[in-house]
Amino acid sequence: MRAWLLRLATVSVLWGAAVSGPAAAQAPSKPFVFTGIPDQDESRLVERFGKVATYLEGKLGVPVRYIPVKNYPAAVTAFTNGQVQLAWFGGFTGVQARRAVPGSQAIAQGAEDAAFKTYFIANAATGLQKSADFPKAIAGKTFTFGSRASTSGRLMPEFFIRQAFPGQTPEQVFERVGFSGDHSRTIQLVQSGAFAVGAVDYSVWDLDSKAGKVDGKSVSVIWESPTFPDYQWTVRGDVDATYGAGFTEKLKAALIGITDPAILEPFGRTKFTPVTNAAYEPLVEVGRSTGLLD
Amino acid sequence: MAEPAIRLANASAAYGGRAVLDGIDLVVHPGERVAVMGRSGAGKSTLIGLIQAQIPERVALVPQAAALVRTLSVFHNVYMGRLDRNRTSHNLRTLVWPARADLDAVRAVLARVGLADRLRDRAGALSGGQQQRVSVARALYNGRPVLLADEPVSALDRVQGGLVLTELARTHETLVMALHDVSLALSHASRIVVVEAGRIALDAPSAGLDAAALRRYFVDEEAFA
Amino acid sequence: MRLHVLPGILPAPRWPRPGYAAVSRWFAILGLAALLAADLHVTSLHPWSDLERLLGGLVRPDFLAVEGASILYTVAFAVLGVGLGAGAGFLLAIPYARFRAVRIACAFLRAVHELFWALLLMQVFGLSATTGILAIALPYAGICAKVYAEIIEEADLSALRVLPAGSDPVSAFAYARLPEVLASIRAYTFYRLECGMRSTLVLGFIGLPTIGFYLESAFRQGRYGEAGALMLVFYALIGTRRLWVRGWTLPLLVLGAILALPPMVGSTDVGASLARFLGHDIVPAPLRHASLLAPDTWLETWAALWAWFRPILTGQILPGTLQTLVLAQVALVATAIGALVLFPLTARHFAGPVARPFGRVLLVTVRSTPEYMLAYVALQLLGPSMLPAILALSIHNAGIIGYLMGRHADGLTYRPDAPRGLNLYAYETVPRLYGQFLAYLLYRWEIILRESAIFGILGVATLGFYVDAAIAELRLDVAAVLILATALVAIAVDAASRALRRSLRIADLPVRLASTDTPRSSAPVTA
Repeated sequence: MRAWLLRLATVSVLWGAAVSGPAAAQAPSKPFVFTGIPDQDESRLVERFGKVATYLEGKLGVPVRYIPVKNYPAAVTAFTNGQVQLAWFGGFTGVQARRAVPGSQAIAQGAEDAAFKTYFIANAATGLQKSADFPKAIAGKTFTFGSRASTSGRLMPEFFIRQAFPGQTPEQVFERVGFSGDHSRTIQLVQSGAFAVGAVDYSVWDLDSKAGKVDGKSVSVIWESPTFPDYQWTVRGDVDATYGAGFTEKLKAALIGITDPAILEPFGRTKFTPVTNAAYEPLVEVGRSTGLLD
Repeated sequence: MAEPAIRLANASAAYGGRAVLDGIDLVVHPGERVAVMGRSGAGKSTLIGLIQAQIPERVALVPQAAALVRTLSVFHNVYMGRLDRNRTSHNLRTLVWPARADLDAVRAVLARVGLADRLRDRAGALSGGQQQRVSVARALYNGRPVLLADEPVSALDRVQGGLVLTELARTHETLVMALHDVSLALSHASRIVVVEAGRIALDAPSAGLDAAALRRYFVDEEAFA
Repeated sequence: MRLHVLPGILPAPRWPRPGYAAVSRWFAILGLAALLAADLHVTSLHPWSDLERLLGGLVRPDFLAVEGASILYTVAFAVLGVGLGAGAGFLLAIPYARFRAVRIACAFLRAVHELFWALLLMQVFGLSATTGILAIALPYAGICAKVYAEIIEEADLSALRVLPAGSDPVSAFAYARLPEVLASIRAYTFYRLECGMRSTLVLGFIGLPTIGFYLESAFRQGRYGEAGALMLVFYALIGTRRLWVRGWTLPLLVLGAILALPPMVGSTDVGASLARFLGHDIVPAPLRHASLLAPDTWLETWAALWAWFRPILTGQILPGTLQTLVLAQVALVATAIGALVLFPLTARHFAGPVARPFGRVLLVTVRSTPEYMLAYVALQLLGPSMLPAILALSIHNAGIIGYLMGRHADGLTYRPDAPRGLNLYAYETVPRLYGQFLAYLLYRWEIILRESAIFGILGVATLGFYVDAAIAELRLDVAAVLILATALVAIAVDAASRALRRSLRIADLPVRLASTDTPRSSAPVTA
């Protein structure tokens, strides 16, 4: 009998919680929340975004929170459903997010992002050497991309591969195609020989090399791609309405005004510069040609 | 004469295409105490079921198996006899926190079958005979004028069985009970109905019958007994 | 004793239908064929050294690195998710037997894996407690409704028939039905809470702040000491479940869980997100702007819809389904072999007094480890192919079935002159338990299939692989169609399993795990 009563109480309390839960979770002064695509080692992400949060809070006068996500689409989802107002996107995820949220804008990119590059890296056992031309010898080997929605780890390398092998998909070109999830993991997989060749973000390669995580005897860069636009800060169009007129401009100025090397270094960037949505138009075309965008 | 309490005209029943009862005509008037007798499988339980189906809202039932909810207390099992006459909210409340008035009423009914002290026991913990008496108490508590009972004292000895049948007759106007004990039937019923092979083979006042006259309907079972 | 003593290996001649041997043979043949079709490539070069480091983490756990809040959130999500699911399941169980629509809705709810639910819910509720709780509650409502309905159906109804005519249905249910079934329902619900904690852990792998969140990070970055500590904490949670999940602790657990829920970082506009999600995102692209009310454009719309659907069908659903079935088939046969090999470890007559506790701990441990996590670890070690997925599924499920079989084996009584050792195993134990063994195996078939589909998210080319791709491309309409297809495949396998169990006359043998969980009873188990 008592058990039945308890069950009844349990169920009714639960319904109450489900109904009132989300509403109760809203804080009175709405914090400004941002995220970033998890493109490399999480410890580095926590370091860089933690610093950005502290910096922005000082400049913007509202509480600023960083929310970590586990994969690229989760970052885009958090942006489209309004959980975050600002995100550090890759070129392609930025395009996806801005198409899904009308009115949102790219406001700043790293100085390096206007002309970003992909490195093709290969395990030493393949015997592949660095070349200026596209290394067609990678055909028939195993190949790993980064995340499915990565610009430098998927979209652009796939585009270059399709260019080099007209009429063929990567699955047809290579013996096996994998998606490592992030660039640091791509480097590990190629270094260990799990995959013969991989496509990696050049800035993560540089950061990981500097951090001593890359064994030059096992893995090396065999090709540098032509340049393309990549990472950027994208903000939702409704922030001015929420945080006051001119908030977008204030945010943009704050990002561009970052000079502290302690913040910039974990990004692998020298500074942030203003940018507009138009700068990423080329990626829309690439997305369409590879079938990743409608 | 008053309106009959039960009226079955040319009633029949079948299980899976096999006729169990056929062409049954039975009229029972208020105040009559009818014992339905016959071999097992003759259709006694089916006849009780037919009557119940005809006047469900006037019937208090003592089923063949005690049919108690074993995980509930004796009190709750008896209380169930009046479930239809209380509001849902009261019933649900009683499940958790019974009212004193209900407890007293049920205790009084249990006293009539000698179980007043088992009010709070779990029904499943009682012996077979005790469970049967709880089942009777449930029908007594129900209090509807027509009491239908299917072997209500089969698990009791003859003395105890007699006491229980007397209690049943005391508060219910009309009784129809399937019985197999000839002497109990003769001493507690005013009328004997014998069912044989799906038909009524005998329907007579008990006053004019004796055990020997009835016994011929149970020859096979005597062999077992 | 409800264990039916059935002739095992040889089909009984009076049964015209396929016997145990024929069914076993067909499953084994299909499993072999699937094995030939499966991709078993090992891409990693140093799986053993990685495994060594992983086990090293378990031996030298770094408890200081464990994020305490994640343990709290894991329990809180599980308690509230299972509570809500069980509550809804209970309400659905009442009309379950009578209304086909309810049964279909429940079949669908449970056919969609909690990870898929979470991916969909995240679109609307973001990374929040609501997403975590609902992702558990929705499929669990479907499962609980079915099982509760079965329990209610099996209950003794005699008291219900005796109720005075005119009793209202609510009172009738509360008095004559509920008390009969409460104990079984309670045992099952508490067992589900354990499953709920496994599910919650797995939700961490896609971003909810449970133990899984930190486990994923730790695995990914090779912090095996932290990973080991997290796993040990999780095993401790599961292992002590009986101590802290009891009738009287429930209100405290629920209250505590509500208070312990993580505050949401930021907030989503649920109304707008839901409208966009239902009204736009999951609507097939060709229908989004089509006017469905104008009959003259119907033909065009249908053509466009077919043109949209065809490549999904041929390029994703069909190959994905094939791979899912292949993986599930191999895993099922591997599970069967594993369970037959493992169960003597926990059975009195085979394992000695030293080996038996050890065997039990081993099987309970692999059973407590979510198969998704096993697969994740195996994939890190071996690279993305079917091999790690097969290993994960068969280890977890062989652990479960082996443990249960061991307990059934202990319930058997042997004649005094019964043989010993391998002869006892082959001539007495296995033949007598074979029907029960098949019942468990066929019951797990659907569960294995659901997991096979979900492993696609980890990189095996099953249906989940294409769902993951569709979500990465922000094509939620495609993702929704693929999830629907996955659900249909799961429902079909469930139906096939039930038909087979019926035709083998093993449909009434216990398959639920709940009532077998009591360590006190060593008697054979009835559900």
